[in-house]
Amino acid sequence: MGLLDGLLPAYYESILITVGIYIILALGLNLITGVTGQLNLGHAAYMCIGAYTSAIMSMHYGMPFIVAILAGGLLAAAFGVVIGYPTLRLTGDYLAICTLGFGEILKSVLYNVPAVGGAMGLAGIPPKTTLTIVFIVMIIVIISMVRVESSRFGRALVAIREDEIAAECNGINATKYKLQMFSLGCFIAGIGGALWAHKIMVLQPRDFGFLKSIEILNMVVLGGLGSIPGTILGATVLTSIPEILRFSSEYRMLLYGALLVAMMIFRPHGLMGGVSFNSIAKRGMRWLKPGDKPDDKPGQKGMGG
Amino acid sequence: MLSNLLVQLINGIALGSTYALIALGYTMVYGIILLINFAHGEIFMAGAFVGLMLVTVFKVHIIFAFLGAMLFCMIMGVIIEKIAYKPLRRSTRLAALISAIGVSIFLSNLANLVFGAKPTTFPPTEEILFKIQTYELIAGAQITNLQILTIVTSAVLMVCLQYFIKKSRIGKAMRATSQDYDTAALMGVNVNRIISYTFAIGSSLAAAGGVLVGIYFGVVKYNMGFMVGLKAFTAAVLGGIGSIPGAMFGGLLLGIGEMLAVALGLSSYRDAIAFGILILVLLIKPTGLFGTQIQKKV
Amino acid sequence: MFKTKNLFLLVTFILIAALVAGCGGGQTADKEEGGGAADADVVKIGFLGDLTGDTAVYGQNTLDGMKMAADELNAAGGVLGKQVEIVVADHRYDKAEAANIVQKFINQDKVSAIVGDPTTGVTKATAPISNGAEVVQMSAGATGLGVVEIGPYVFRNTLLDTVGGPATIDYMINELGFTKVALITAVNSDFSVGLSKIFKDAITEMGGEIVIEESLQEGDTDFSGQISNIKNKSPEVIVYSGYYTEGGLLMKEARKQGMADIIMIGGDGLQAPTFWELGGDAVEGSISYCGFSPEQPTEETAKFIADMQAKFNKEADLFNAQGYDALKIICAAMETAGSADPKVFVEALAKTKEYPGVSGVTTFLENQEPVKSPVYLLQVKDQQWTLLKKVPVEM
Repeated sequence: MGLLDGLLPAYYESILITVGIYIILALGLNLITGVTGQLNLGHAAYMCIGAYTSAIMSMHYGMPFIVAILAGGLLAAAFGVVIGYPTLRLTGDYLAICTLGFGEILKSVLYNVPAVGGAMGLAGIPPKTTLTIVFIVMIIVIISMVRVESSRFGRALVAIREDEIAAECNGINATKYKLQMFSLGCFIAGIGGALWAHKIMVLQPRDFGFLKSIEILNMVVLGGLGSIPGTILGATVLTSIPEILRFSSEYRMLLYGALLVAMMIFRPHGLMGGVSFNSIAKRGMRWLKPGDKPDDKPGQKGMGG
Repeated sequence: MLSNLLVQLINGIALGSTYALIALGYTMVYGIILLINFAHGEIFMAGAFVGLMLVTVFKVHIIFAFLGAMLFCMIMGVIIEKIAYKPLRRSTRLAALISAIGVSIFLSNLANLVFGAKPTTFPPTEEILFKIQTYELIAGAQITNLQILTIVTSAVLMVCLQYFIKKSRIGKAMRATSQDYDTAALMGVNVNRIISYTFAIGSSLAAAGGVLVGIYFGVVKYNMGFMVGLKAFTAAVLGGIGSIPGAMFGGLLLGIGEMLAVALGLSSYRDAIAFGILILVLLIKPTGLFGTQIQKKV
Repeated sequence: MFKTKNLFLLVTFILIAALVAGCGGGQTADKEEGGGAADADVVKIGFLGDLTGDTAVYGQNTLDGMKMAADELNAAGGVLGKQVEIVVADHRYDKAEAANIVQKFINQDKVSAIVGDPTTGVTKATAPISNGAEVVQMSAGATGLGVVEIGPYVFRNTLLDTVGGPATIDYMINELGFTKVALITAVNSDFSVGLSKIFKDAITEMGGEIVIEESLQEGDTDFSGQISNIKNKSPEVIVYSGYYTEGGLLMKEARKQGMADIIMIGGDGLQAPTFWELGGDAVEGSISYCGFSPEQPTEETAKFIADMQAKFNKEADLFNAQGYDALKIICAAMETAGSADPKVFVEALAKTKEYPGVSGVTTFLENQEPVKSPVYLLQVKDQQWTLLKKVPVEM
């Protein structure tokens, strides 16, 4: 372990770790919002559960890092089931506002629980997150997401996104699939949160507000809903943009807001809407063999109105 | 205890009527173009700042400042729609949502740059309006003239809006557009103009809310729109998004619910309770209290 | 076809832009690397704070104070004959970004010291990094527990709650005779939660009674419910542990609801002109503690207040003063040690004794904790803080 650590200057390493964690978080949300079309405005809440759980695991119970990470993911998934079971029956914006509400409730409750430090939060979490670990977890998550995408399960999720009623008519148990998908997405968010906790070393409820959820959602939408390479690109770009814009400290967030609007107007399907690893591979083949005429993949529709 | 409950009820109505004013903007926009206009809270903030500037810098009477803020935000709302939402009308709803979030981030940071992060204060009420007086009601409960003003102003604005929507030509066209966008367009309704009107009216109501809140609490801040916007949006969903009486009712219910929570000594769970009410209502009646069931055609 | 090509062009463009921007930053840093921090012709000090997020007001004010200090130092010839340069970075209250910024300060900008963050949470998330890299970090505002314990390179310039809190409560109970207390906490502020605990212990220890405990959220503006509850229990005094914005609004609401004579007693979080700008007449008579007295200001404090007014056209507040002092204390230590290398001047910094700053007379104890003595109890009279009592602090 430690293959990648120390190769780069500490500043770049720190940024890369952040990028990696955001890629993991965004991939979890991409499954929920991009692939299945269920708008989730409270992703940070599941990240928060994972972060707190893993922090408690490694601080109070001295668990190995891998156990703490998994525990964080599992508890987040459990919450995903509990919250998802009643709310996933709601559609569109009603689901969105429920997930948002849950995020705010969780934050409010954490402020009032002395066991997790209230507003002061948890401090002194061991800094165990290294670039190598983030990289390994990220690769695992990417591979499993690609596998899910091309599996029967993944195709069922896309069918639910495109037309839930039609999918049900074709024998897809939409509620069951949505619940499984939601808990998987939350599991990934929990893992991302666990890695986050062991990098930042301090957790406070206000770190996981609505704006954090929106930040992750922006990455998915900017990259292209439902597209795994797009989500990775979106997370990379949006995590680096604030660093790139650092020269204009005071105008930075102003530019960020304007960029979001401009992006949506000029590329409403995101940077790589409809692009999957498969289509990239195909394109690569085409460049190698220019004679073939590949079918141009139409842009995916994202969340239909 | 009873008098405290009554006082909290009045506090709740005063707070709730400001939520309701802002919720109307969310619900009207949503009713027509199915967009959660996240920038609406920032328009509320802008309204408060414009009102404040008119009173302190230009020494305008508060009533004209109130109207000036409404006019300013009316124009602002229309411009925002033209720049950030109109090009996205035919693309996915999420793209429009992200664009709205972008506008929201842009506006609140613009206010931060112009006015700084320090809270700006409204002049004392007695200088711009009247001296605050308290009136005794039954059972020792009290109401201040400022609360009466807030509640009455909101109520008058909402009655005007209801009348406008029900009786005027534009109002009728709005309702038609919200029921069926394409058919309304085919029937000769200038949909673009109707959408502009919707943004204009919604934004001016938010500005009215902003100035009222500014006077009521005496403080204006660059990020004041965020939480209030979130709560107002919650109120709109609670009442059934797209429904105008629903937004009014949802706002009042949310305000009263929050204050009763405070009365019961749960003030630190205030936000949790506001959103808890919302989730409960949605689970029992998924379209909100006044929402109409939309049958999805296969 | 055309569209997809376009897309790839765009993506490539963005990636290249990102790389160029990233490397650009790297190259300038590399150039300076050759010389090292000590030989460069400027002394760089990083400002770590929030300029655009939830806690922007504290960050912006700290930065203004620092700018003031740097301008003064530079006008007088700088430090060790070099100009002081503040490297500004905004983390919008995001701890991950704050951590990246500290890495950038240390590895790219090669700063000699970092001032910030004003909040305890971000300080705890970043100080282990600078301590590990042996760069001095001084928070101008973190009052919570577990800050200086992080390591020998971590300092803070602030009046500790454990000193001012009990002194204030002692005055309240034993000299003003207020025993029935309403205690209000801002649950989402670590500063307020920590101070409330100190207040509470002091009140019960000295024989006072907390008749009602209320809570609010920093950032809210509607406190009518809390005040109605408090009014119902008729306490003699309101003790609030949070900051000036909510403090002013609370008192205004109390007057609105007819609590005509009650006063507020609080911590140094109330120390800003915003308190009476918001509260107006309602905050007359309110009491808080502080490290300096505006009524009997030292020469430095009087000059600072006048200069802030001239430069930024605003009245100085606590964060202005603490940011100003933090920078000057660091630079004074550099002068004493004759070096801008943090490994060298950290010893001189730790030995700072009775530094006559604008936020009080500061001494660092052996464990790096700051002590400001004496503590001043101040009261609002005619929209100004006036001196009530001087309480000497035992070290």
